[in-house]
Amino acid sequence: MQKNSNLRTIGFATILGLVCSILLTFANIQTKPLRLANEKAEELTNYLFVLDVPVSPGAKADDLLKIFDKSIRVKEAGGIKFYEYYPENSSDDKPVAVAVAFNGPGLWDKIGGVIALEPDLKTIKGISFYKQAETPGLGGEIASDWFQSQFIGKSIISPSGTPGFKILKPEAATDSNSVDGISGATMTSSRVEVILEKLAGTISNARSAYEQ
Amino acid sequence: MSNNLAAGQKIKIRDIFADGVYRFNPITVQVLGICSALAVTNRVDNAVVMGGALIFVTAFSSLLVSILRKSIPLRIRMIVEVAIIATFVILFDQFLKAYAWNMSKQLGPYVGLIITNCIVMGRAEAFATQNTPLTSMFDGIANGIGYSIVLILVALVREIIGSGTLNIFGTQILTLLDIGYTKNLLFVLAPGAFFTAGFIIWGVNAITNTKEDANE
Repeated sequence: MQKNSNLRTIGFATILGLVCSILLTFANIQTKPLRLANEKAEELTNYLFVLDVPVSPGAKADDLLKIFDKSIRVKEAGGIKFYEYYPENSSDDKPVAVAVAFNGPGLWDKIGGVIALEPDLKTIKGISFYKQAETPGLGGEIASDWFQSQFIGKSIISPSGTPGFKILKPEAATDSNSVDGISGATMTSSRVEVILEKLAGTISNARSAYEQ
Repeated sequence: MSNNLAAGQKIKIRDIFADGVYRFNPITVQVLGICSALAVTNRVDNAVVMGGALIFVTAFSSLLVSILRKSIPLRIRMIVEVAIIATFVILFDQFLKAYAWNMSKQLGPYVGLIITNCIVMGRAEAFATQNTPLTSMFDGIANGIGYSIVLILVALVREIIGSGTLNIFGTQILTLLDIGYTKNLLFVLAPGAFFTAGFIIWGVNAITNTKEDANE
């Protein structure tokens, strides 16, 4: 057969395509459990982090899963899932902190995260924006410690009693339900504000259902 | 492209490495594959892993293209090369996702974009289609190393100036933040890479040109 005949060309392409796809399918199946475990662990780490659950650094995916199963209980109320943290050695039947997941549109991609509140569902104990693809160094700073640590101790209820949360201009005077925004990342800051405003509303609406 | 390595000639391994790493360095001399050189060089860790990925992909795609070079139908030659390259890139990406999750997250889409990296395709097309498998593989490795060295250099400059620190795989080597250094955002973002890579290319070419003049 001629080296460049149509038939041979098609045959070559078919065989190459088959070999490559079999190889990739095999690799995909082989690594799938590990990849899924990594993704799961990533999510759990963020819940454990905002809830302030003690985790040894460098814990493996299945260790995290064990800790999560042991100390976190999921309670559904008012249409949202509350992840309640009961410390291992406490006999108290009240949770120490409650986490709620959130997401919404960012500048480039969806922003997802998790917020931890005191059991009163008002005071913020911690927040993590772990799913984000904002501009590195600018909007991407929402995932940094300095930005996230500003939220600790703040409230999702304004001083006048209405639910809400504000991201102000950098260096502006903040009050009990606002934090400093990121200079150079106004677009990301305002989108995060929209997400948190909505979240504050949803949580407040579900509060009575949760407390029952 | 490296004209002194014509097809069929007996080629010394040392020459291949000298060409790939230094004389015809893909970034500083041929200015190929700089897209990823700009994107992932804000941290040295990223540059090291990206370099490793490129060495792996160029080595094996050149090897495979060279093995198949006599049987690949001419008309679909480049498509075949891309398919082979893509297969190795996806394999590496899957490997990172399974065993180095954090690194995979840091590099984001750039591992996948090695498929379109001109260096890989360039070596497959210009060298592997005309040379024996082992020679081609060494050529791939040499070019990968040449690429990695420049990437790491750019990353060193960017990480120190941009973040004021130097952390290599979790070990802090240097921090300027204690002495009141202010982070330079320009170097964290892509423009910093343009400046750094530009200066490196200029520097290297200035040095090599002088040497060539001296030899004449």
